Amino acid sequence: MATKTLVFPGDIISPEVLPIPTNPSLPLKLGPGLRHVPPSTITSTLAGPLCIDRKKNAIWVENNTGRYIPQPNDLIIATVHHSSTDIYHCSITPHTAFAQLPQLAFEGATKKTRPQLNSGSLIYARILSASKHTDPEIVCYNPSTGKSEGMGELKGGMLFDISMAMARRLLMHKQKADGGIALLEEIGGKVAFEIAVGRNGKVWVKSGGVNETLLVGRALQETDTQGLGIEEQVKVVRRLMRQV
Amino acid sequence: MADVTLSPLHRADGSATFTSNGYSVVAAVNGPIEVQRRDELPEEAAIDVAIRPAAGVGGVRERHLESILQSTLRHVILVSAHPRTLIQVTLQIISSTEGSFNVGDLPQATSNLPILPALLQASILALLSTSIPLSMTLTATLVAVDGQRLKSDPSAEELKVASSIHVFAFSSHGNLLVVESEGEFGIETWEEAYQNARLACRGDEENDSESEDVSMDSDNDTKLEDVLRIAVRQKVAREQKWKLDLRSATT
Repeated sequence: MATKTLVFPGDIISPEVLPIPTNPSLPLKLGPGLRHVPPSTITSTLAGPLCIDRKKNAIWVENNTGRYIPQPNDLIIATVHHSSTDIYHCSITPHTAFAQLPQLAFEGATKKTRPQLNSGSLIYARILSASKHTDPEIVCYNPSTGKSEGMGELKGGMLFDISMAMARRLLMHKQKADGGIALLEEIGGKVAFEIAVGRNGKVWVKSGGVNETLLVGRALQETDTQGLGIEEQVKVVRRLMRQV
Repeated sequence: MADVTLSPLHRADGSATFTSNGYSVVAAVNGPIEVQRRDELPEEAAIDVAIRPAAGVGGVRERHLESILQSTLRHVILVSAHPRTLIQVTLQIISSTEGSFNVGDLPQATSNLPILPALLQASILALLSTSIPLSMTLTATLVAVDGQRLKSDPSAEELKVASSIHVFAFSSHGNLLVVESEGEFGIETWEEAYQNARLACRGDEENDSESEDVSMDSDNDTKLEDVLRIAVRQKVAREQKWKLDLRSATT
């Protein structure tokens, strides 16, 4: 998964670079930043490093900056803007079309027992559908099991902004091995806290007191903006711990 | 030669500064965002360009430059990727060489064109920083002609005595995207200016294929495309720092 070529918009990805699938029936997957021009040209549309995953037969251009574009199955933190008869209108990123959250799309919600959300409340939700032609639709439960799986309203706590790449790293399966993040484990050894990470570059933290919440948020933001390694993260956590 | 910073503003979706030859421009891009109903295009993104001069409020001249930029960026941005949205490009001119003109010169008497290459470069860098899908990148330059002499990146004095000035922008595929000329000139002069500008933007294309990496190190005649590439390379290196740390920790 490691090819470090930098591509620019308009560059043609040469066929030699494309991964050769181990299983011939597996189609090539084009991720963000690439565009297929029929019949068989692949050009890049973003500037960034070209990444190739040979196992999944996927190729994409990594990007960190810019506005979050909703993609199906992403976990996001949204703000309820207003509600209509049976839909909450939620904002995922500022100044974009509102996402629709059906009022019954919560665990165990019925017509009589549905959660009452005021404008301004935060919700942790999954994107059900999103396309460039329609407004995104989000839900707070897993439609196949009917369970909330941690989604729903986020009560109390604080919201912090992080970069989209940092959010991706925090949501990785093996956070420390793949994402290079050790600070949550480090803080978790001393302070109890809850955390929710949204792919739209938001992180929500809740703990016993304001000081501890700010500690987690600051440590995350510092790691993000300065690109700290694992050892440096431990140092930052120790330094911030002393102030609490 | 040219000084570039990517993403200096943290509240905008993407931003860039471009400083070259006495002109300095900050560009901020927001998008794709919701568009006003009357500006909405059903099949593509609307592009809004706003130019703010270094002093005072914008007038006819800014509107003229905005219209040139808008029609250029429309072809550079893949507008079909974000239909019914708005991509907002705001350009603030920080400094221009116009300050060195004599007091009493009417602003109308000076040309519109000298700032145009800086505006084009700043806007394309800000678009790269916003990760807006583009079909190509562009580079732009200014050439002044004084009698028989050609001068690229002319100073304010050279512009004043020039018989004609030309702005050229080239796409990364080598096509001519923008050409704006002012003054008296013949077709031969224009051809010469064109070759001159092409060299400044795209470098020597015949020798380029063999010595691409060599030209990166020699900064005496850096072509404008390299300026852009180096800026992005530095930004990516900064963003990928954690990955390198991780790899060195595991090995």
